[in-house]
Order: sequence, then C-alpha cells, then structure tokens
Amino acid sequence: MRIREALLSGLAIVVSGPVLAQTGGVINVATIGEPPTLDPMVSTADLVGIVTQHFFETLFTFDKDWKVTPLLAASLPEVTDGGKVYTIKLRDGVTFHDGSDMTSDDVVASLKRWMDQASRGKQVAANVDKLEAVDPSTVRITLKTPYAPLLALLSFNNSAAVIMPSEKMDVPMKDPVGTGPYKLKERKPDQYIQLVRNEAYKPLDGAGNGYGGARKPILDEIRFVPVPDPNTRVEGAISGQFDYVDSIPVESYDRIKNIQTSKPVILKPFGWPVFVMNTKQGVMANTDARMAVRLSLSMEDMLAAAFGNPEFYSLDGAMYPKGYVWNTDAGVEGRYNVADPDKAKALLKKASYGGAPLRILTSRQYEFHYKMAQVAAEYLKQAGFTVDLQVVDWATLTQRRGDPALWDIYITHSPFLPEPALIGQLSESSPGWWSSPARKKAVDAFNTESDAAKRPALWAEVQKVIYDETPSIKIGDFNALSAQSPKLEGVVPAPWPYFWNVSVKK
Amino acid sequence: MSRYILQRLLGMLAVMFVVVTIVFIIVRIAPGDPAAVMLGPDATAQDVASLRARLGLDRPLIVQYGIFFGQLLRGDLGESIFLNRPVLTALAERAEPTFFLTLFSILIAGLIAIPVGILSAYWRGSLFDQVATTLAMLAASVPSFWLGLLLIQFFAVRLGLFPVSGYGGPGAGLFTRLSHLVLPALSLGIVSSALILRFTRASMLDVLNDDYVRTARSKGMGEVRVVMKHAFKNALIPVLTVIGLTAALLVSGAVVTETVFGLPGVGNLVVSAVLRRDYPVIQGALLIVAALYVLINFLIDMLYLLVDPRVRY
Repeated sequence: MRIREALLSGLAIVVSGPVLAQTGGVINVATIGEPPTLDPMVSTADLVGIVTQHFFETLFTFDKDWKVTPLLAASLPEVTDGGKVYTIKLRDGVTFHDGSDMTSDDVVASLKRWMDQASRGKQVAANVDKLEAVDPSTVRITLKTPYAPLLALLSFNNSAAVIMPSEKMDVPMKDPVGTGPYKLKERKPDQYIQLVRNEAYKPLDGAGNGYGGARKPILDEIRFVPVPDPNTRVEGAISGQFDYVDSIPVESYDRIKNIQTSKPVILKPFGWPVFVMNTKQGVMANTDARMAVRLSLSMEDMLAAAFGNPEFYSLDGAMYPKGYVWNTDAGVEGRYNVADPDKAKALLKKASYGGAPLRILTSRQYEFHYKMAQVAAEYLKQAGFTVDLQVVDWATLTQRRGDPALWDIYITHSPFLPEPALIGQLSESSPGWWSSPARKKAVDAFNTESDAAKRPALWAEVQKVIYDETPSIKIGDFNALSAQSPKLEGVVPAPWPYFWNVSVKK
Repeated sequence: MSRYILQRLLGMLAVMFVVVTIVFIIVRIAPGDPAAVMLGPDATAQDVASLRARLGLDRPLIVQYGIFFGQLLRGDLGESIFLNRPVLTALAERAEPTFFLTLFSILIAGLIAIPVGILSAYWRGSLFDQVATTLAMLAASVPSFWLGLLLIQFFAVRLGLFPVSGYGGPGAGLFTRLSHLVLPALSLGIVSSALILRFTRASMLDVLNDDYVRTARSKGMGEVRVVMKHAFKNALIPVLTVIGLTAALLVSGAVVTETVFGLPGVGNLVVSAVLRRDYPVIQGALLIVAALYVLINFLIDMLYLLVDPRVRY
C-alpha cells in the first residue's frame, strides 16, 4: 500500500512538473542595454521583444518546433474561402492587468493599431479587406488575397500584434497594460525594469512548449538590468550578481564553463550574419557584380575571424540550418564559401566593373560584423574590387542604409526567424530593394500558399532565386552565448529568452 | 565687485546661448536618426519617415530651433524621445549617482594627491619623490575603463566585496546605492589624483624656496607649520583650480566609467542619448553640463578671494 502511494505521489510530481513548483524568488537579468521603447508594436528590436513578451501577449505564438500555437486565441483559426478568411476564437476569462476582461473589441482595436503602427502590421494591412468583431469572443480577418505568413506575423514578439485594452491605444504608448504572466511595476531607465507576478494570470493547461503552452509566473519578480559593457556582463555573471546574463562574448566561454557561480547557456544555432546588397543603385545593382562578391568570399575565414572558437559557428549555405522544416540545399552548390578570385574577376569583367569604390557599411556595435568586414575586404580586393570600408555607429548605419545613393553593401545579422516571409530582405521596400520578376514569382507563390505541406518546396524555390540573383549573402550560422546562475531552473535557451516557468532553487 | 559678478553672469548667459545653438546644430547635422533607432532593424523607410514626421523632425531646422528656444525660455528642456519623460526629470534622476561619484572621486583623489604631492615636493629628488612621480605618471596613463575592469575583477569578482555593476535594484537604500559607487569612485579617484598630485608638487616647489618660507623657518617655526600654514596655503590656488576643473569634468559625466560600471548617471545618459540620437536629451544634458562647468569656474574664481587676499575683482 505504502509503495503504491509512494509511486502515485511520485507519478503526480512527474506529470504535473512545474505546476507544483513553489512560487517565489527575485531574479536579476543583465541585458545588453536599455530598450528604446516598451511598445512592442513600434519596434523590431530584439531587446524590446525580450522584455515586453513578459507583460504583453499575442493571439498566437511559437512552440518549441516553431509551429504556430494559440496563446490568447482559444485555438488555431478556422481558415476558409481559399485562405482568405481567418475566424479566430478568443480564450474565455482572460483579463488585462487593469482587471478588465479581454474581448473581441480589444483585439480589433489592437490589431488596427498594429496595422497602423508596426512595420510587420503594415505588411499585413495592405492585404486586409476587413477586420471585425463577430461576437465578444470571436474576431474575423478577411484578406484580399491569401497570405500564408499572416499567422506567423500575428505570433511574432517584436513589431508584435500584442493585445491591449481598447481604451489604451495611445501613440506613443502611455501605460503598458497587457495580459501577460508578469506586470510592469517600475521602469527606471538605464537602472532597471521591474516586473512583478500577475496574480490573476491563468496559464494554459499542461506544460510549457517553446513560447507556447503554459506560461507559469513562478518568480515573484524579474528585474531587467541594462549592462551595456559586455566585459562587465561577464564579470557580473562570474560574481553571481546576475542570475541570467544575456549575450556575452564567445571569448568568455572558457572563463564561465567551469565555475560554480554561473554556467553557459548556448543557443545553437542562433542566427546568421548577412551581407545585404544595394540592388537598386551603384556597383551592386548588377547581378554579375553581386555574384562576383559571393564567389570571392571565404565564409570560413570570415566566421573564424568573427567568432574564433569553432564551437560557436558553422559553415552552412542553406538559409535555414538542419532541424528546420525550411532547410534545403537549393541553389547552394558551388556558390558558397568559394573564395575563387579568378571566377570573381571574370564576372567583374562581364559586369564591366570600372573600379568604382565598393562601399561596405558596417558598425563596431556588433564587433563580429566589423571583423567579418575586414576579412571580406581583403578577399574582395584580391578579386579586383576597390573597397571602401565605412565603419559607423549603428544609428548612422540604420539611417544611411535607407538612402540607396550612400552604400553598396551593409552588414547585419538575424536570428533564424520562424517564418521565412519575415526575413526583411525578401521585401521590395526593405533597404536593398530587391525587385525582379523571379523574386516576385517565387516569393508570391510562397506567401500565398496556405497548405503547410507545400510551403517548404516553395521556399526552396525562393532560396534558389536568392542564390541566383544574390540580393544578400548569408555568411554562415552562429551560436549565441549567455550565462545563468546554477540556481535557476527551467531556463530554455531561446533567441528571445523568457522567464516564465523559471524558478529559483531553494 | 558686484559689477564684476554681474559681468560674469552676463558672460555665462552668452556662453550658454552659444553652447545651446552649437549643440542644436551639431546633433542635427550629424548622421543617424532617432526614428530609425526606435523602430529597429527591420523598419522600412516609410515607417521611419512617418515617425520622423510625428516627432517633428521633418520640419525645417530653423522652425525646430525656434520651438526649442521658445521651450527653453519657458524653462522646458523638452521631452525625451525614448525615455517617455521630460528631459529635466531624466536629468534629475541621474543627478544622485553622478553627484556622489564626483564627490567620492574628488575626495579619493585629494586624499591621495595632496599629501603625497606635498611630501614629494618637500623631499624633492628622494626615493619617495621618484616613486610618487612614477606612480602618478602611471595613473595618468592608465585608461579608466581598464582600471575599472581590474578593480571589478579583484574587489567584486574575487573578493566579492562590492557589486560589479548598476546602482541597486528597486527599494535599494542609500547605503546600498552608495556601495555601488566605491569601485567607480576608486577608479576615477586614482586616475584624477595623478594630475592633482603633479600640480600640488609643482606648486609647492615654487613656494618652498620663497623668502617668506625661509623667514618662517628662521623664526624657529616647526617644519609642519611652515609647510602647511605658510607654504601649502600659498600653493593652493593652482591646486584648487585643477580640483575644480576635475570636478567639473566628473559632474559632466564620467562617461566611460559610468558605462563600464553600468551606473545610471549623467554620463551614461549622454552616451545613450548620443547612440540613440535622442536630441532633446543631448541638448538638455549638454546645456546643464555647460551651466555647471561655467558655474564651477565662477565659484573657483570666487574662492580665490578667500584663499589669497591679494586677489581683487
């Protein structure tokens, strides 16, 4: 009898898992800086998403396999009329932090604000015919033409379609009131952002699943502390001052892997550095010249210079690494990590390149961008390019890249986005301004196909066109390094780290 | 005297006007755009343009200047683009760490530099003097961020005596907040002490050979009294000047040190504002800093009156 009871109680613990975890604990999370805003609709910055995802929620989110899963919606939408009508049922009993109930009016008002203010929302707005509240717990979106990325855009946590009370639609945002597991208590810029548990929060049933599933606010408080200096963040992890330290230099890996106060958190793979070409104007407006850049580069040397330790990068020409449904080799063979100056020279001759400076815009805000640029410049010179490496601060770069007269290549990076349609360079209006009949055909086919089973093959076509026309060059995959206190339990490595379902070991 | 003070005050206003105008023009002609920073990496050019319009940044420069100057005359430094609060409030929030950091740094610098400088001059050419001079040169050459990181590694990480970074969490008391300032103040104090030490030593060397010092000794006065009362008091003017200028520099924000230690002070605010192109904050902060700088200079001049009775305005 006793054995049976013991087994049953043990089973209960295993099944319920974190449900039984005691609440309590305060954690300090060191971030790379102060977020530029707490309005997640307005900004696409990762830092904004990392902080605000704890107090704002979207209708849908992504599970651990990057599949769309309901969050404020009761289920995945009913899609009818050939992919043009999305009927979304809302969860019952969801309340905002101000105590009011979430209804379809709030959702409609929030989505209208999103389509008006958010760059990703504007992408959707052009294709929305009607947005309406069918009843207090149902919303309907009617599109002009089928648009497959809609659900992913509604799920994303930056430039995010978060749901706020209809009477809190101020622009700029005055009072961040959401539905999330944590509430904003106080923000002291450059000192801390203090979140406290939302006692009224009702998590979904079951366990956490990526960003989806149950979001249990176990900790009493989460404090995001800006620590802009990367070396100080490392020391903060080693000293134990911070319980989680976001984004630390890979060089610090050896220092933190064998200590008691902190342990490394590696997100493998995290993202991809990319050289974006100005296809509208200047040297890179010519496809052969762009291909010459591609064939002249040694991605291996660039990644080694940028990340040093091979544990933190890998050579990979596919736009998505293995493990993603979007992984494909289409178009890659013979066009990645070639480093062949002779082939590049031949293409430059074909492009009638006259020695005009190739203006590469980069920033030391991200040191690995700069290191890659330095290596790339040498390979490009070998291929016959005249290189003008322009090192500016990030604010200047983001402004200059908006003017096609000012640059030929700019360097950036991105995490692996769950939906390829979210990749900025695929849009004709994104700096780079890639526009061609082949792009339109491939991207439109991909974006309008609502059958999930058919979309990977269509993405392979898009990747092939990217390799054929080279509007951008993916350099490889890289991993992200963070650090956490061994006392923290439940931390899941994620591109936008989150702290629901996380507890402090007593 | 009152005429002199009035003249100085008018001069200060003129300096402030020039500073305000130059800063306004420089931040706007410098590349970079607050709208692009706020919207993030994936924003389109249209999004950036529409936010610029909302912020009033698409208006002609002269119109923007007129609005800014009108606000200034009403005592309003404008609203931060990113911090969601008035610039004056943002600056007031940063005043405490910067004030105490300045105070502690100057105290540390003074406590190191003045006695060592006096003794160095007194024992000129001795081993003590040579060691002190060499160490001063070393301290002057060390970048404060490097020294800061060394102090962090030893006192915060290895010994665990002080926090690595920040200025205390929610509800932190004054003692906790001040404990965050020990390492940065030490870092700045050591670096600043080099200059003060050299000025103290040089100034003391000048006066130690003066007739009145010899007279004091010949009267049979004790050496400590000769040095402290007769020599040091007369050597104080250049030392005060350099202490004042160092304090003014620190009040305006020990930019690098505040960034390394993650202190939410004026320097950190200015750096963040420059990186984000938060124009109202840059303008407001530099205006206040310029005012403090001018004011401290003015106060030092007034202090000369107390220290040296020969000074007359």
